[in-house]
Amino acid sequence: MKKNDPKQRHRRCPALRKMLKIMKLTTLLFFIALFQVSAKSYSQETKLSLKFENETLENVFSKIEANSEFSIFYKNDLIKNSKEVTGEFKDVLIINILDEVLKSENLTYNIKDKLIMIVPKDINKINISDQQQKSVSGKVTDQTGASVPGASVVIKGTTTGVITDNNGNYSLTNIPANAILQFSFVGMKMQEVKVGTQTSVNVSLTEESIGLEEVVAIGYGVQKRVNLTGSIATVDKKNLENRPITNSTMALQGATGVYVNQTSGRPGADAGTIRIRGIGTMSDANPLVLVDGIEYDLRDVNPSDIESISILKDAASSAIYGNRAANGVVLIKTKTGQKGSLKVDYNTYIGSQSIMQVPDNIVTNAVEYMEGKNRALTNEGKPIEYAQTLLDDYKAGVTAGTDPWKYANTNWMNVMFKNAPIQEHNLRFSGGSERTIFSASLGYLDQDGILLNTYAKKYSININLASEVTKSVKIGANLMSNYWINTESGYTTNDGNGEGGLMGLIYRGLPMQAPLAKDGTYADQWVRVPGHNFFRNPYALAYEGSHTNKSQRTLASVYIEFKLPFNILYKVTGSANLYFMNEKFANPVINLTNTSTGVISPMGNIPARGVIQRNFNNLNLTNFHTLNWSKGIGDNALSALLGFSIETFESSNFSAQNQGYLGNELTELSAGSTNPLVSGTSAKSSLMSYFGRVNYGYKSKYLFEGNFRYDGSSRFSKGNQWGLFPSVSVGWRINEEGFMKDIKQISNLKFRASWGQLGNQMIALFSYVDAVSIGQNYNFNNTVVSGAAITSVSDPKISWETTTMTNIGLDGGLFNNSLTFGIDVFNNLTTGILRQIQIPAQVGNLGGPFKNIGSVSNKGFEISGQYSNRIGQVKYNLGGNLMRVKNNVENLNGQIYYTGNRITKEGDPIDSFFGLEAIGIFKSVEEVASSPVQNSITRPGDLKFKDLDGNKIIDNNDRKVIGSVIPSYTYGFNLGVEYKNFELTAFFQGVSGLNTIYTGNLSKPYNNGAGVTRNWLTDSWTPENPDAKLPILTTGSGNPFNFQTSSFWVSNASYLRMKNIQLSYNFPVNLIKHVGLNSLKIYANALNYLTFSKFKLTDPERLLTKDGVDYPNAKTLTLGVNLSF
Amino acid sequence: MEKYILTICLGLTFLSCTSILDIEPTDRFTEETFFKTKEHAEAAVNATYASLLGNSLLSGSNAIFFEDATPNAYTYQNNNGFDYIATGIQDAANSSVINNCWGQCYAGIGRANTLLSKIESIPVTSISDALKKRFIAESKFLRAVFYTQLWALYGGVPLILDAPDFEKQANLPRNSADEILSQIIKDLDEAAVELPTSYAVVDKGRATKGAAYAMKARALLWAGKWTEAATAAKSVIDMKAYTLFPDSRGTFFFENEGNSEVIFDLQYKFPEFVHSMDIILDAFNTVAPLADLVNDFYMANGKPIIDPTSGYDAKNPYVNRDLRFYASINYPGAKYKGATVSPTTYPRTGYGQKKYTIYKDNEVPAAIKADNQSELNYIFLRYADILLMYAEAQNEAVGPDQSVYDALKLIRLRAKMPEFMPGLTKEQMRQEIRHERRIELAGEGMYYFDIRRWRTAEVVMNADIFNYLGVKFGTRKFNKDRDYLWPIPTIALQTNSALVQNPGYGK
Repeated sequence: MKKNDPKQRHRRCPALRKMLKIMKLTTLLFFIALFQVSAKSYSQETKLSLKFENETLENVFSKIEANSEFSIFYKNDLIKNSKEVTGEFKDVLIINILDEVLKSENLTYNIKDKLIMIVPKDINKINISDQQQKSVSGKVTDQTGASVPGASVVIKGTTTGVITDNNGNYSLTNIPANAILQFSFVGMKMQEVKVGTQTSVNVSLTEESIGLEEVVAIGYGVQKRVNLTGSIATVDKKNLENRPITNSTMALQGATGVYVNQTSGRPGADAGTIRIRGIGTMSDANPLVLVDGIEYDLRDVNPSDIESISILKDAASSAIYGNRAANGVVLIKTKTGQKGSLKVDYNTYIGSQSIMQVPDNIVTNAVEYMEGKNRALTNEGKPIEYAQTLLDDYKAGVTAGTDPWKYANTNWMNVMFKNAPIQEHNLRFSGGSERTIFSASLGYLDQDGILLNTYAKKYSININLASEVTKSVKIGANLMSNYWINTESGYTTNDGNGEGGLMGLIYRGLPMQAPLAKDGTYADQWVRVPGHNFFRNPYALAYEGSHTNKSQRTLASVYIEFKLPFNILYKVTGSANLYFMNEKFANPVINLTNTSTGVISPMGNIPARGVIQRNFNNLNLTNFHTLNWSKGIGDNALSALLGFSIETFESSNFSAQNQGYLGNELTELSAGSTNPLVSGTSAKSSLMSYFGRVNYGYKSKYLFEGNFRYDGSSRFSKGNQWGLFPSVSVGWRINEEGFMKDIKQISNLKFRASWGQLGNQMIALFSYVDAVSIGQNYNFNNTVVSGAAITSVSDPKISWETTTMTNIGLDGGLFNNSLTFGIDVFNNLTTGILRQIQIPAQVGNLGGPFKNIGSVSNKGFEISGQYSNRIGQVKYNLGGNLMRVKNNVENLNGQIYYTGNRITKEGDPIDSFFGLEAIGIFKSVEEVASSPVQNSITRPGDLKFKDLDGNKIIDNNDRKVIGSVIPSYTYGFNLGVEYKNFELTAFFQGVSGLNTIYTGNLSKPYNNGAGVTRNWLTDSWTPENPDAKLPILTTGSGNPFNFQTSSFWVSNASYLRMKNIQLSYNFPVNLIKHVGLNSLKIYANALNYLTFSKFKLTDPERLLTKDGVDYPNAKTLTLGVNLSF
Repeated sequence: MEKYILTICLGLTFLSCTSILDIEPTDRFTEETFFKTKEHAEAAVNATYASLLGNSLLSGSNAIFFEDATPNAYTYQNNNGFDYIATGIQDAANSSVINNCWGQCYAGIGRANTLLSKIESIPVTSISDALKKRFIAESKFLRAVFYTQLWALYGGVPLILDAPDFEKQANLPRNSADEILSQIIKDLDEAAVELPTSYAVVDKGRATKGAAYAMKARALLWAGKWTEAATAAKSVIDMKAYTLFPDSRGTFFFENEGNSEVIFDLQYKFPEFVHSMDIILDAFNTVAPLADLVNDFYMANGKPIIDPTSGYDAKNPYVNRDLRFYASINYPGAKYKGATVSPTTYPRTGYGQKKYTIYKDNEVPAAIKADNQSELNYIFLRYADILLMYAEAQNEAVGPDQSVYDALKLIRLRAKMPEFMPGLTKEQMRQEIRHERRIELAGEGMYYFDIRRWRTAEVVMNADIFNYLGVKFGTRKFNKDRDYLWPIPTIALQTNSALVQNPGYGK
């Protein structure tokens, strides 16, 4: 006796509902087994009302399933000759119904909560007559050692068997001499044991390792993983569980084929950029993110509400999203409720964050700093800046130690960064009645930043409701909302103000500068540093003034689902995604005390005291309709989807500022009195689409899928608005073939191939019109007058970028799927790449038009594998994935595009670093004289560049591609070990083959009055140290030729990071159940604790093209509890 | 019930999908909707003025940074690339001013050209003929300003007179310097005819007839066309519309903006239109006057300090100097911002530039300006310059006649300097006028153009530089075969292969 054949079930029921059910069942059974939860009897509580009129047992069971959460398993043979049933039941328990409908059959049943097995009555009868046969007994357990009740034990080749009792015990008599016993249980791998001479056979079943029955979210629906023909990565919830990720973008890190770069760790502003299979555009390369089917910002999803993540990577899976899908699609499904009694989950953690990586070689000794600067200036032929008397005075002052405020040796990294607490609470109520399920969750995140006086708080709420209003109408609603507030210095860490904001100032901090003066007031510098005339004391700036960002995003959606005749399901969804953001900068006046003279003066060269307030509003309305149909005819399974959608996007902003404040305290716009300024604007865009999908399967062996989307976008001019995006894919489940049946080692093998076209429409609105910009104002006699001018030109013929994706894949499982693997080879060719081209300045110095300029390819492969097994009581798993992608600009019609120190040209990756090739350091005057001319001031100690064009002159014509910002390899691996109730998991992630050129403070010595790293003082060229690694010591502006973009300054930004390691303990159920808990888990988690990288000046996980430094990422240690009751 | 819900759902769909994709922008005009009214034309002219303030063209800070590439001043920080220019190591890519100036001039030219080619399409019912002519004249004046800058710095450049058109103009090669000059003079002549001599208060700051003559004088002077230059300068003088402001320092005070000496200025207003001259000149000290300039100020008795009879005391070097020294330069011991300047106040050379800061000598300022908080207008053309232009051109064309003396007399009188001795030879007068230009216009960015047109840069820029103690702290280099012109920027060459680089420069 075994579980009903899934293929048959698939035909018998609407596929979608069934799949969901199976998924739930699998999960449920898994938990039953794992936690030994005594089945809280759904079957003892649920009362059904049903009516049968001359119906087959098959129909009876279907009706029971359709009207309850029960799933009924049986072998078709058992009921094929059954009698028809008639009867009416009102509020009757399932056992009473079953007793009634089975009374005339030689059948009985076994109920395990929502699972019902129909078995022959005589299975437990013992045939005593055959004395030749023996008997055997034993116990069936799961891998944790817990008994498995309800498992079937069948003698192979017969229908004879038993079901294990509540303790997992069984006993069989009268078995043939050479009997083989088959042990099986839903969601577990079947095991066969030769009885031989044994009288006792104990079996431990393991769960089906990768759920082939697992259901994966796809565009506008779900699909069993086994039937997928496209390339879809899913994020293992297990990897995600309990990681203290503060931004849901980080949840994708480690997924096969995905590169997530978290460039800033500022609380509330720490979203990573997501790149799927390389970069195929020069415009917006962000994937389309849909939460429960609606476009939404991943940042605003509470990680704890995520049920599953699917990443659609090839055309087969994402073409149904048309002109927004070329960068890949991320589908997030949030948690829903389940029928049954109320379930409460509470998850919480507290933790401590600290800075992950700071430059460890900054010179923090003031005298050393000053002496080094003098040396640099001497090398430049300039007079020294720090007189010997000053140096002597400073040395004496430091030695005396009585006035460390004046004679400071400050390490600004230590001053400005701290260990910061973090805590998060998530509470979820879920449950459901017969017809309605719900889930409601509340989340609260309270995070202090590792940089002084930065913090964020997030409040989130997510409510999911679904109700079967009538037999044919289902209504559901989802409300997801969050409110973030984050605060930092008014000087801002990431951008804006001089020297790259507060982070720039910290990287610019000098040892002679102190945070505080002796009397506890903010300190001013007393040693004057040219280029650093104003000490914008970072410590003071961190505490005075503020930049506060409050954002609220709400997604409200409602759907109605109708069951129409001919098995057609019609679904209408309407949703609103509303975003409101209020940003306020309060710029203070800060008084500083000179640590030598005691003179108090206001901090110089910071924005004038005042308030700037900006409001942003976005409203995105979505309305879509889908028709779903499926039918099985013999060995053929056919399903189809047809849909229509309209989306509108409106945004508006408003900004006002005021000055003339009486103090730093009041930060309302109205509290100011002078120089008010105001501005604001709004924009609108829309999309209209038709889409559809056809699936066809033959014997579940041969799979075919076709998709299309016909998209109209307002971003293009009339006549260029509509585009068709088709895809086709096939799958061949090789292991289902007869010739594979006997190869026991191979439990799954599937070949996939897909082709399709996708679009990317994300360019600035109205790029197709020659616009006359307003705001080109002037003033006459101090009165502002309006000006308007064309500032850029356009190409009205532009259209979306088209990416043609070809993907071939192989999925496999070996040894009962204990080893699984996937291989994908892809070729994505994007044509008609949209880019604002640079036109010669002589044409009015206009911004060039956006044009469809050429093509870029991303070719590569992905490999992933998982292996799980056990050694005695220890269960373990290992997994990893690797993506290789080669980005190549195929065709730009001969054009070359420059952006700062980067270039986009044919034959190289997009946006490659472009500069001279450094080939060493000049060692002698003779070497300079005999080399190609660099410039009039070249001398020994300077960098030597290669004369690529051989004209004996080094200039811009000698530049070449010297680095790439696109990783060639992205990889991750995970491991897990379980022993009894303990579990240890670890997750590593890395990228390689990518570069950065950091040119901010500390990248060059004494950069415009900034600091210096020690290697410049110890390992730069001097006549005595001609083999030094670095060229001659000069200030950053003292030698423009050494510091120009060249291969010498290209850093390898590859890294391998232990993203996460976690140790958890699950309390045994029998310990906690008498306090009313269903589960209790405690864990300790370490995030980002190990990084291997050659790049040391900042975190290598940075915006590779950025000159400066962003708010650093934190490593976080947390302790947490998950409990449910 | 289900049927009703179904009907409503379907109905909603088709209700919402009429012409949903047709959206017009609400935050800008399109070419179809613009240039229809007088207001549009005026906005287009205003936008051309706005280009004057653009990055690294004549914007306040940049105009005075030109000092740093002369023996007048020094920049520690290589602001806008001027130290590279000063030391002769500029190339086509490493100096931001060389790139930005090119683009910004063409931005202004493009805007002027747009107006000139489109204004005729505005119906007469919307704009009077007089106003139309004035807008055209203003645009031609501005176009000439931009072309003069290009012509002076790069030599011949592509001459574009039509509204920006990528297809037609992207690959135009350079015209000759003479062609550019001809167009400049033509534009200014045409502008002068239509421009008014003055405006009502609300329009004060627009181009005037005087400005057109003055600009013409400048272009011709720079071209060495002495007779024509003298005539143009004389036209300004003969207008009798301008007089020297009584006090040199006061000419540059905020409260005296637009005074009687101002012919054309670039107008700033906090908080919308700002520059950073106050912080640059004072706190940053990145236009640090050099000893060479300070020593070039005569004694109040009109004698150079190297003259043994001048009364110059090296131990007390800052007494009894030309009044313009005190109006232009901060030096150790000077009174400024209500305090005494110390040798470390201006750490680069010991000197700071006072001219173009708004601070007074004897008042502690209520607030110190930070970056982008200064709003003092930059005087692009002033009457003192016209007088000096006339004197120079007339002297070169005719010789030191009385009109030369008369022009110089006005300037000397204001500075309370003795008049020039009669009977100077043409050569002596030339040297005095050149010296007078350096002193009178010190700190205004003009000297850079002067030493180039005089071809003296190869002398004065191949020299060491010294601070207030006479300590050498650097050496300048000037390649006479190359550096009289800037390179065509790398980006311009990259985007238009028809452009030919100036001699001596790489790509």
